[in-house]
Amino acid sequence: MQNVIIFVEHKKEQTRKVTFELATQARSLADRLGGAAHAVVLGAGASQIAEQLRAYPLDTVHVSEDADVDRYLLEPSIAYLEAVAKKIGPSVILVPNTMFGRDIGSRIAARLGGGFAADVTGITVEAGVISCVSPKLGGALITTCAFQNTDFGVVTVRPNAFTAQAGGNGAQINQLEKPAASAAYSVTIESEVEEASGELGLEEAPVVVSGGRGLGGPEPFTTLLKPLADAFGGAVGASRAAADAGWVPYSLQIGQTGKTVSPNLYIAVGISGAIQHKVGMRSSGTIVAINKDGAAAIADFADLVVVGDLFQIVPELTKMVEAAKT
Amino acid sequence: MNLREAGLGFLRVLGGPEANVKIVVTVKLVPEPSSEKKIDSGTKRLVRTGVETVINPYDEYAIEAALALKEKLGGDTTVTVFAMGPENTKETLRKALAMGADDAVFLSDAGLEGSDVWGTASALALGLKKVGFDLVICGGLSDDGSSGAVPGELTEYLGVPGITNARSLDVVDGKVHAQRETDNGYQVVSGPLPALVSVTMAIGEPRYASLKGIMGAKKKTIAPLAIADLASPLALGSAGAKTRLLDFAPPAPRQKAQVVDAPDGATGAKIIFDFLKEKRLV
Repeated sequence: MQNVIIFVEHKKEQTRKVTFELATQARSLADRLGGAAHAVVLGAGASQIAEQLRAYPLDTVHVSEDADVDRYLLEPSIAYLEAVAKKIGPSVILVPNTMFGRDIGSRIAARLGGGFAADVTGITVEAGVISCVSPKLGGALITTCAFQNTDFGVVTVRPNAFTAQAGGNGAQINQLEKPAASAAYSVTIESEVEEASGELGLEEAPVVVSGGRGLGGPEPFTTLLKPLADAFGGAVGASRAAADAGWVPYSLQIGQTGKTVSPNLYIAVGISGAIQHKVGMRSSGTIVAINKDGAAAIADFADLVVVGDLFQIVPELTKMVEAAKT
Repeated sequence: MNLREAGLGFLRVLGGPEANVKIVVTVKLVPEPSSEKKIDSGTKRLVRTGVETVINPYDEYAIEAALALKEKLGGDTTVTVFAMGPENTKETLRKALAMGADDAVFLSDAGLEGSDVWGTASALALGLKKVGFDLVICGGLSDDGSSGAVPGELTEYLGVPGITNARSLDVVDGKVHAQRETDNGYQVVSGPLPALVSVTMAIGEPRYASLKGIMGAKKKTIAPLAIADLASPLALGSAGAKTRLLDFAPPAPRQKAQVVDAPDGATGAKIIFDFLKEKRLV
């Protein structure tokens, strides 16, 4: 494996922050392997995203705005990615560790008969062998896995694990041709419905303000937590208890059956800290809890626990954070 | 016989008395989720002995989805559970049979130990092709491996249409219709059978096994399958793995939290603000 290919996730001409983390890591990895750094951007809005990517140190950005990409589920994306990978030869493919990234990553890994490393937070190269560091068993163990017996390795990269750094001389843009497989696409996307805010990026927000059972209902998520998250430029999350109660959509749930996040700052509001929640956020930089019970499980893995009334503390904190910005 | 073998059979309108969709649910047997998990420092594999084994919780939702679909379609629709794992975990499959699955196939072979995602998906694909299916239903994730990659890889190795993260599922006129979850909502998708669908927990709470179901499960078949039956053209298990575990260690321990009482909102906010300021987070 010598070259690096990143697959770019985007929607409505917006991409995730993790895209630029992948682009930066792709350069570093390609340099260590002595190869080139490529990106693949597909579907409506791809050209515009490709232009944004030119600010990052990639060699080539492969683009297609083929309408099939948004009409059929995954199959066109995999066909394009397969064609690029086979043309470039042995390579590591980096995708974000998101719902979509795991779908793309698992399909392309099998299509190429390659290896798969999930939820990776570090990549090393030693004597040409690529190894991936990833937390396993809900973060209870940190594992290091090496690729072997294969020309292709697929890595799903945890957002916020790598830094993004613009630079380079502007990648070449390569327009892709329609793949031969296009006649065989079978799973049709008939319609798409947006339920949540439409924002990409709970997984990659630098600050997450998360609410649990202690909030007592749906309203405080919008009246209390959202303003605090906004003050930090962050996102709102929730515990499983809050999602199960129907207070927030499941797309906001953090934990074993939801999303895994590792922001610089995680503020847990009215969350007791069950193991199911812990595994989704334990690798956050700094963890602050606001809870009425100082003996709650969250004290075992938080940095600061403030014992008090969240309904009084959160608005005051929001004011202070707002004031500090001006 | 399944729809594929029946040739044009799948063009028939399903849901009537002659419906006969062969549903196969893939099931992983995992250490009880709340148990302390260890990796053997010699073999570098998860220790699966001395801990209670259960059906992967995500797969229970896949079983529920299959049973609900069977009830809806009626006719000769069947639900087979397909599992792969160490021989001593076989009896755990009885729970799936007690929930209402018709029969089970258990792929077990020492040669499959040390399988990575590639090896697991390859062995499952060969086994499923041997068993035959119209619709494969998978849980989205395993509680122990948690890569979430097996449904996608399996789709490719089976060479069938694939739909991930379904929160609802139906079969009409030989086509699968699903709502699949996205980051901020859902997509309505459809594709022809035979197909593979992975489901999320929003598909519906798994049913409990009834006493009658538990009694009946004792008489149901768990058919054994070994590597030799798969006639694999490639080395499976650790010999064929595309990834190798080099090292593992516990994460750096966190320092014990400071726990501070806040008599009122302003005090509490100030404690947090000062703490964040010291860490340059505000």
